[in-house]
Amino acid sequence: MNRVQSVLSKKPKKWIANLLFVLAISALLVYSFRNTSINPMRIRSIPFLIGNFFNGFTEILWDALLGYGEFRFVESITYLALQTLAIGFFGTLLGSILAVPVSFLAAENVVGKRVAKVGTFFLIVIRVFPEIILAYILVKGIGGGPVTGILVIGIHSVGMLGKLFAEAIDSMDRSSIEALDAVGANTWQKIRFGILPQLMPLMSSIALYRLDINVRSATILGAIGAGGLGALLTIFSDPPAWSILATIMVAIMVMVMAVDTVSSYLRNKLV
Amino acid sequence: MARLTLTNGKVVIKPFNRIWIVLGIVIALSFLFGYVVALESEGITFRPDQLPIILKKMFSPHRGETWIDYFSYILELQNVMVMTLQMCYGGTVIGALSAVPIALLSSKNIVKTKWIYGPFRFLLNLFRTIPVTVLAVISIGMVGTGILAGMIAISLFTFGIMAKMLFELIETIDMNCVEALESTGANRVQAIRYAVFPQVFPVFIGYTIYIFETNVRSSAILSYVGITTIGTIMKDNEMTDYDKVGGAVILIFVVCVIIQLFSDLVRRKLE
Repeated sequence: MNRVQSVLSKKPKKWIANLLFVLAISALLVYSFRNTSINPMRIRSIPFLIGNFFNGFTEILWDALLGYGEFRFVESITYLALQTLAIGFFGTLLGSILAVPVSFLAAENVVGKRVAKVGTFFLIVIRVFPEIILAYILVKGIGGGPVTGILVIGIHSVGMLGKLFAEAIDSMDRSSIEALDAVGANTWQKIRFGILPQLMPLMSSIALYRLDINVRSATILGAIGAGGLGALLTIFSDPPAWSILATIMVAIMVMVMAVDTVSSYLRNKLV
Repeated sequence: MARLTLTNGKVVIKPFNRIWIVLGIVIALSFLFGYVVALESEGITFRPDQLPIILKKMFSPHRGETWIDYFSYILELQNVMVMTLQMCYGGTVIGALSAVPIALLSSKNIVKTKWIYGPFRFLLNLFRTIPVTVLAVISIGMVGTGILAGMIAISLFTFGIMAKMLFELIETIDMNCVEALESTGANRVQAIRYAVFPQVFPVFIGYTIYIFETNVRSSAILSYVGITTIGTIMKDNEMTDYDKVGGAVILIFVVCVIIQLFSDLVRRKLE
């Protein structure tokens, strides 16, 4: 046996572990099909369904989309799209403002290990609590509408924003603060000239990233009554009114892609 | 702008701080979106005093029942919860796996032709704007309102996110390995198998678990378009039996916590 072969034969045999992994995944996959059934009649109607879906886009209701004719602007889909955008925007703003103090409490190099653990735990609880259930509770508890949507998105985003903000604070360069100390800066000056310039670009980029996610979830939360387009989406989905759904989807596509483009452009500029 | 003349005659000009532009834009947008939200807010009344009442109704037994009834109801919900998890698991695995080829085709460094990855990316972006409720409506049209419909909706949703996250990941890998393999005579498929796959795989598993978590958290929304999930309990009992809603909320939260703990464990192992 030459040297190459002997080295090759010493290669760790990982295939058993890999096989077990694949087997476990597939077994669970098979299990997850338990109690499912397919109606053959439905299968035959799939092409019609896809046809209807795309047909909807040829019958876009322009008067409902833009709010002329028998529709007032406040009733139009464009208005609701703007409202959805507003929910995403204010939600992100609220979330970022709330996340700043919490993230300092979760940053090890600011408050020390013990307090940081408590802060991190708090953030995990917020992150794990499902947004939809929060929306449900707030809609039942304080009433529906866009303001509730803002509250829901604002509170829920604190979880992720706080975690990422805390990571940004933890990775901060402390030498510039030391330098400010050396020239006799006071606490406010240290925050203003040592911490803020380092954190602002990172934090704004994180917030912009979250804005993208929030606008998407704002389009759904309306189903529960938290304002925005989502209510229409559920009202017209049973039975599906494809032309209306297509009209709403056009509004969502324009809105979400615009936010996506602006957010990623600004993030590229920041970092 | 502040100008400062030093003793040696040099002039120092304080650079313009861009934070004012950012703040200006944020404030302007706040007024604009505030106006948008205010346009429709006349009919909406807030009754925050209801919140504690609703919470008490949710998290305590119904009148005339005991805590034992309350918790035994949570145990009764296990079938619905298992169904929800079936949907989420099947949907996530199928969606994540089907995203792999599309992600490879959309990444700049694997497919070097712009007119291949360009259209793929555009279609992916367009696809990702379709809200999950609409995806659910389409899958209900395909297979009815059972587990399978939820699974298809979740797999389509997962496919959209995963394809995007994955191609962004593939673009950050170390291409030297691919080059090295190709220089030893490996073809494209071998290069992907032995150079791209090992770099991407652990992160791919991490992403899959992350998306699974998100899917479990947001699966309740599917019940608002007709698919039976744990959210159906919340929707059906929203006027009458808030204690049942509370039971469902507790169950979802507990399951989310367990999944979070599990995924943290797996992700730590992968690192």
